[in-house]
Amino acid sequence: MIELQGLTKTYAGKNVVDDVSLTLDTGEFGVLIGPSGCGKSTTLKMINRLVPLSGGRIILNGDDVTELPAEQLRRRIGYAIQSTGLFPHWSVAQNIATVPQLLKWPKSRIDDRVDELMAMFHLDPTEFRHKYPHQLSGGQAQRVGVARALAADPEVLLMDEPFGAVDPLTREVLQAEMRRVHRQTGKTIVFVTHDMDEALQLATRIALLNGGKLVQYDRPIELMVKPDNDFVREFIGQADLGLKLLSRRWVHQYQREPSFEHHATLKGLDHCWQLDDAGRPIALEGARLDDDHQVTEVKPEWTATPEMSMKEALSRMVWYRVMVLPVVDDAGKLIAEIGMQGIMGIEAESGLSAGNPAS
Amino acid sequence: MSGTTQGLGRLRAASAGNGVLGVLIVLLVGLTLGMGQLEPLFRALFPDLGNPLYSRDSFLNLMLAHIGLVLMSSLISVTIGVAAGLFVTRPVGREFEPMVSSLAAIGQTFPPAAVLAIAVPLAGFGFAPTIIALSLYGLLPVIQNTIAGLGTVPHTTLEAARGNGMSRWQILRRVELPLAMRVIIAGIRVSVIINIGTATIGSTVGAKSLGTPLIAGLVGNNLAYVIQGALLVGLLAIVTDLLFERLERRYSFGS
Repeated sequence: MIELQGLTKTYAGKNVVDDVSLTLDTGEFGVLIGPSGCGKSTTLKMINRLVPLSGGRIILNGDDVTELPAEQLRRRIGYAIQSTGLFPHWSVAQNIATVPQLLKWPKSRIDDRVDELMAMFHLDPTEFRHKYPHQLSGGQAQRVGVARALAADPEVLLMDEPFGAVDPLTREVLQAEMRRVHRQTGKTIVFVTHDMDEALQLATRIALLNGGKLVQYDRPIELMVKPDNDFVREFIGQADLGLKLLSRRWVHQYQREPSFEHHATLKGLDHCWQLDDAGRPIALEGARLDDDHQVTEVKPEWTATPEMSMKEALSRMVWYRVMVLPVVDDAGKLIAEIGMQGIMGIEAESGLSAGNPAS
Repeated sequence: MSGTTQGLGRLRAASAGNGVLGVLIVLLVGLTLGMGQLEPLFRALFPDLGNPLYSRDSFLNLMLAHIGLVLMSSLISVTIGVAAGLFVTRPVGREFEPMVSSLAAIGQTFPPAAVLAIAVPLAGFGFAPTIIALSLYGLLPVIQNTIAGLGTVPHTTLEAARGNGMSRWQILRRVELPLAMRVIIAGIRVSVIINIGTATIGSTVGAKSLGTPLIAGLVGNNLAYVIQGALLVGLLAIVTDLLFERLERRYSFGS
């Protein structure tokens, strides 16, 4: 648990962070967001004391951070920044082992931990262990950066615009991975970004700052449906609020049992799946507006996963012109389906969420 | 296929580099030990000279004395230069940076002969004034490159080092110095190469070096002596330069 109490930072007589108070419970994913110069990055850096406090207190799991030696404090807190933060003269394995080495873990324990983290981020140890940062793609370097921050199993993970320098496609992949890692590790995370879509994708709590002051601190949905004032409303943007809401809903919340026989109930929704021997969907009969009996070949591009956002699911339905997507597990087996009713939130309460990985 | 040919090409280029260095080292050692064997050649080239081969001291002795002078003065330059460069890039010494930089630059503008002239009354003739002159002279490139090299370490890398809980000393030893090393070594390379050339004038104040036959040749109008001294100094400088190039390459990290 992190508590900021009246946190203040003064530069040259000006309060760049002004009396910010908030509490982030253990396991929450907190995002600090706001326009540039709002003090979000400064607030983050005061937590691990890269920036000294001018006033107020920060309590980390019961300890006042200013009362701990700075280096010891920082080894308890993971810190990830843009990929340039990797040490260019160290291999991937050495980079990930930075904090365990500072903590003087035995070598075998460090090696095991490095392998474990590389597996978590889908980096094949035999291929990547001995590579240097300049041999990595932007996305790979960023994964190494986050793996390094997690290496010594820190109490809290701080991330300062970590995905700011990667291309939009890679960023989406990294965001999905970050959600997965958060779910797997249950870490308390404080994440700085200026991108509202990124915040909505990741956060369980969003703190919106402006001019050094905390404007609103709330759950993402609340921020959207109950903005405290016009600044919040404007910063979120009203243009595609419906889509933004969908970006906060997950397929596993709205999926239902897949249909294996035709029901002539609604036009365009009557459909059934064909599976191969391994239980993977190969074709979809029906569920097209034009022809209920047309057979459509299932392509990986329009399958959904339980962790996918409903916004992404909708996007795939529209693009591939199908009314229902197969929901598959890691092995590609059909575990559920997600349809237009799910997009509208109709299935939400019906409890047909087979194979729900987490709430 | 193209990868293999490329690899082979690189291998060939590397071995060619090795070859050049090897030939030059053999030449350097051979000439140092066996300059006497070339006496007929010098006699044929300079028929007017009564004594076309420098023989007041062995070339091996002169070479070792020369290397000794350069090693000693470079050691002093590097120690003081790197220490000064480190000091003025730490928070405590930052305000001294302009002063140290200009002092070193002034040291460089003095002609080495003038430094020798000042050093002789203070330190007497021989080894000591030459060491003083060479050390002063070699200081600037080391200081400059130490400051520049530490300046090339990206801000984000330093922040990551601090954020991961490294102490100042750990940041310096594990991050700053390794990343600055290539540029620092480039500075040492310049300093040593300058000193290999400049050490010859130490002979004017009585320090034994490869400059001894050179100066003797200039004074006695014996071109053969000049060539013998200059040949060895030149070869020593080229071999040293190539060795430093190799060392520098070990500290490049893809950028």
